[in-house]
Amino acid sequence: MAGAAVAIEFEGVGLAYAAQSGAPTVALDDLRCRFMPGKVTAIIGPSGCGKSTMLQIARGFLDPSAGRLRFVEVASGKGTQRPAMSTVWQAFNLFPWLNVVENVEFGLRLAGMSAAERRARARKALAAVDLTGFDDKYPRQLSGGMRQRVGIARALVMEPEVLLLDEPFGALDAQTRLVLQEQLAALVEKSGTTAILVTHSIEEAILLADTIYVMTARPGRIAAEIDVDLPRPRSHATTHDPAYGALFDRIYGLLRDEVMRAMVGERAET
Amino acid sequence: MSGQPIAEPAPASDASRKWVTAGKPATSWLDDPRILGWGSVALVLIAWELIAILTGVNRLYLPRPTQIVVALVDMFVDGKLAVDLGYTLYRIFAGFFIALFVGVVLGIWIATSTRVRAIADMFIAALYPLPKVTLIPLLIIWLGTGGPFMLTISALGAIFPIIINTVLGVRQCDPGLVLAARDLGATHRDIMRLVLLPSAIPSIFAGVRLGLGVSIILVVAAEMVVGKLGLGARLYLAGQVLETEQVFAVLIVLAALGIVVTKLQDQIDIWLGRWRLA
Repeated sequence: MAGAAVAIEFEGVGLAYAAQSGAPTVALDDLRCRFMPGKVTAIIGPSGCGKSTMLQIARGFLDPSAGRLRFVEVASGKGTQRPAMSTVWQAFNLFPWLNVVENVEFGLRLAGMSAAERRARARKALAAVDLTGFDDKYPRQLSGGMRQRVGIARALVMEPEVLLLDEPFGALDAQTRLVLQEQLAALVEKSGTTAILVTHSIEEAILLADTIYVMTARPGRIAAEIDVDLPRPRSHATTHDPAYGALFDRIYGLLRDEVMRAMVGERAET
Repeated sequence: MSGQPIAEPAPASDASRKWVTAGKPATSWLDDPRILGWGSVALVLIAWELIAILTGVNRLYLPRPTQIVVALVDMFVDGKLAVDLGYTLYRIFAGFFIALFVGVVLGIWIATSTRVRAIADMFIAALYPLPKVTLIPLLIIWLGTGGPFMLTISALGAIFPIIINTVLGVRQCDPGLVLAARDLGATHRDIMRLVLLPSAIPSIFAGVRLGLGVSIILVVAAEMVVGKLGLGARLYLAGQVLETEQVFAVLIVLAALGIVVTKLQDQIDIWLGRWRLA
């Protein structure tokens, strides 16, 4: 990607909300992790562990209450500015009053790009997600999978240095999800962009990521850092690889206890 | 016997065809809402005409529809009614558009700032339920009875529903859309203009419907009180000199105005909601 390769480092990042009474609620606690340029890093954890919150902190929409976020030029080791980022959302968050191509153009329009150029770029991005010929449709007229492909095109058209994927397939049915996972894996591999993927799905994390951070139940901490060495390109066939099975079992083993803990915690709260 | 299985599909397909076309019976003209609507109006008018003729009721109390139509045509031919209609329309819409602009801007401001909301809540709570006709005497003292008074009363009628619905619409905006816009580089201003405003438009238009109705009522009422020109004034003056046909003629013009405004709003609603119907 354009510009120097920048890593994102969480240095003891914590986030606590002021509670209405008593001690503040700790959502994230002492996170230490790094997201390397050109790599896909997945964050997986039980629901409510604060993984989407991590993404909001990385994006700069939330300030950590402890620790700090650093952007480091890998070549020189010097600190630098926040790289350009775009997000793909679980709820798609398409503007319902804009049609497909207007949705994809939205960011380019804000950047002041000429109408002709942004239309051309939007068309290209839509073609990359196999959505040619749907320019004039409104989001309501599309299926969930198609809507999320618009969401992916809208993020990719910005040519971000970092792509933030916030449970991008969480709202889709299992079959659509499989197909889109493969498509996204191919797109990310081809573009070489840095990506941070927040997900519930172990399979999705293994298929897409170079590194997986497994998180604990709330307060969210990093339980393990796991490197995925499976060969690329990966697809559904990768799941038949014995190494895949071993990884899956290892992550599931880590998560199982945390999910149980999260469930007990939820029961105690209600 | 062997022929039966082959013959069987025929009645089945016949039955299904009948089922498909069952929505269109032979007496379809009675189900046409337009024929039913206009037809019943025509029936009432004919009955009215006949009863008036048969009972010989004094035309000062109840003129016949044909007499009203003659009065209506006469009033238009001498040009006075057209002038009145023009004045009334101008007063309604000039005031209304002021209210639309100010109301939407204020509404977005109130919805996006907790401080402004805290202040505005009190004033809206005090002024919104107040029947705006009660402000006519005070406004006359302040503004006289000319153009500024008419525009103010019209704008006052429309602005509260517009403000309230704008606030409602903006606050119902999906926070995910605001986040998505920020993610794509939107500034605070961009978000107001390109996210909050468009997502509030269906709600704003609901406010426009209510507000325009109140504006029409208020302008006509104000004209009845102070006007020398305008439909309300014409109505009041005709009533004073017992020109009952003219009273009815003005009422017909007002009713027609109501129909036109309502149908126009329906069309705008459909156009604005094109992305929601899909």
